[in-house]
Amino acid sequence: MYVIPAVFFVLMFVYFPIGMNFYNSLFKMNSYSDVKTFVGLKHYVNIFQDPIFYTAIKNNVLYAVFSLIFQVGFGMILAILLEGRYVGKKIGSFFRNVLFVPSIISIPAVALLWYFIYNPQMGLLNGLLENIGLGAMKTAWLANPNTAIYSVIMMSQWQYTGYIMILLVVSIQKIPRELYESAEIDGASEFQKAIHITIPSIKSMLVVTSIITIIGAFKLFSEVYIMTGGGPYNTTQVLGTYMYRAAFKFDEMGYGSAVAVVIFIITFAISILQLRSFTDD
Amino acid sequence: MRKMLSVLMLMFFLLSCFAFAEQVNLKFLHRWTQEPDKSFFDGVARAYEKEHPNVKIDVQAVANDAYKEKIKVMLGTEDAPDVFFTWPGEFTNRFIRAGRVLDITNYMLKDGSLFDYVGSQVIPFLYNGALYGLPYRVDGKIFVYNKEIFKKAGIDNPPATFDEFLVDLDKLSKLGIKPIAFGNSEPWAVSHYIAAINQKSVPEEIWEKDLDPAFGMWTDPGYVEALRIYSELVPYFNDYSNALKHDQTKVAFYQGLNAMAYIEIVEIPTIATDAPEGFFDKIGVFPFPATNGPGDQHYLVGYPEGFVVSANSKHPEEATDFLKFLTGKQTGISELKTFGYFNGIKNMISPEEVQPIVYETAKLVMDSDKMVNWLDSSLHAKIWAVYSVELQKLTDQVTTPEKAMEAVIEAAKKVREEFNQ
Repeated sequence: MYVIPAVFFVLMFVYFPIGMNFYNSLFKMNSYSDVKTFVGLKHYVNIFQDPIFYTAIKNNVLYAVFSLIFQVGFGMILAILLEGRYVGKKIGSFFRNVLFVPSIISIPAVALLWYFIYNPQMGLLNGLLENIGLGAMKTAWLANPNTAIYSVIMMSQWQYTGYIMILLVVSIQKIPRELYESAEIDGASEFQKAIHITIPSIKSMLVVTSIITIIGAFKLFSEVYIMTGGGPYNTTQVLGTYMYRAAFKFDEMGYGSAVAVVIFIITFAISILQLRSFTDD
Repeated sequence: MRKMLSVLMLMFFLLSCFAFAEQVNLKFLHRWTQEPDKSFFDGVARAYEKEHPNVKIDVQAVANDAYKEKIKVMLGTEDAPDVFFTWPGEFTNRFIRAGRVLDITNYMLKDGSLFDYVGSQVIPFLYNGALYGLPYRVDGKIFVYNKEIFKKAGIDNPPATFDEFLVDLDKLSKLGIKPIAFGNSEPWAVSHYIAAINQKSVPEEIWEKDLDPAFGMWTDPGYVEALRIYSELVPYFNDYSNALKHDQTKVAFYQGLNAMAYIEIVEIPTIATDAPEGFFDKIGVFPFPATNGPGDQHYLVGYPEGFVVSANSKHPEEATDFLKFLTGKQTGISELKTFGYFNGIKNMISPEEVQPIVYETAKLVMDSDKMVNWLDSSLHAKIWAVYSVELQKLTDQVTTPEKAMEAVIEAAKKVREEFNQ
């Protein structure tokens, strides 16, 4: 009885829009006209025939792979180091904070910061390359189709590695000290302790953070929209910007809805994996 | 007694109805969220309210880029503004086709107020012979050049033809500078070049027809020739054109790193405030030089910006009246005094009131027989999406004019098919 309002709100604000979105994806329509033409699954056919859609998928996958390597992989190494015995308590806490700070800055601010770092004329990156004798590597990072998507990806790694690291640090702190003590008695090195105790103990957190980063990679929008807008030559389009472009630039709300359905299916499938991995534990 | 009461009640009812009908609330949406423009529009609304005490205007503003998306969504709702900002051309035409914009032809002819406006600045707001909006700010694209650098390179007069232009660019390059400041990270910048060159390279009736998404073929060889002409300019641009914003490169121009920049005349008053002291006195202007193409060589690229009335407005009469006020002489004079902008009213130019260069450039616009729309806002969004990518490639010198136009023709074909389904 008491759950009825909650169920109502969930139905109203979560499931109903998802259903409406799928319904809308079957129509040709725009936001300012009353005309709505039924086109069936034509938008889906068009999506899968559009080369830019595949560029977008490829970029989302790239983003996911890099995020796994940097945020989860590198974040884990940092977490283990900061919680290990090589780093003092004070220094550990200092670096935890320093590395965590980027993740609390809003995306537009971070994007603006990196926009200036990548600026070809007065940017820090080209300046640095020049000064260390690698002037030949200077390029317009965000306008060069070969470097643009990686430039955007690296900005996100800088921003979120610290965040994932903190999640892992918390998890590591929960591991009973006794395990380490007994390992030390057995003469285990730091590396062996990490491999045989730390990593297996935080396995579930590693799975969760992996899934967070993968889903995040497929929901990507703001970073790309602000930094490159999908350019140069559409090489940095991701599913989010591709959807936005269809809905608001080309006035094709139906097509945009169809892209949204595709994104939903992908993230939903990943979420199911996540739920599975929880029940396995 | 009962009768009297009924009469009283009836009178009260009628009076309240009357009073209710008197009060008009108008929603007004523009795209200037920053000062001093924001206060300027608030001021215009207050001034109108003062003259029309029964009208209350709710002024709202949305920043430029967001505006393009927000207005599309708002027009589909009950909450659509009565009077709103727009760019004439395809951006507005799609709303007209969807029946969202009020035809104001009769309102304007009724009292003859249409004839207060400069013809070339009203034409952009026509669609199928009917008038849908009025100009708030006229604009045009011209080259602004640094007279000192030109002199140093031995150039006495700005170029009149494209061939002369190339000779001058060579002379300027010999000074060890990149002659043209160009920031194209947002490709509307290149669209202004191409609009100018297309119009000179393609016969008028052909490019006009091509702008219509239902018929545009884009197969005239002049378009390829236009891109070839553009390609000849590319080596003279500053490095990293596609990575820099227009405003960033303007700063380089102010610092004397480049000899010229292709800018809008509405930017000229800002040079006085933004550039180092003394720079404003060093600049001169010239329109895009004539080519040998079959198009008109005198038209200026640049469309006015303006306002329209929503077709769903509950008070079309009052909304149109406010539109006239907003684009009329009184507002125009304070616009000129506040910003150095001209609106579309005839005889607004008085040389004494503004700096000579502002006067000179405004005259260029007002005297132009016809304005050519910016390419990005005149094209269907899907054609522009392809065109802009090809133009960025051309600026990076990774494609050829022929290949670029092939892609545009293909995109236009797809759009045509959609329209004629």
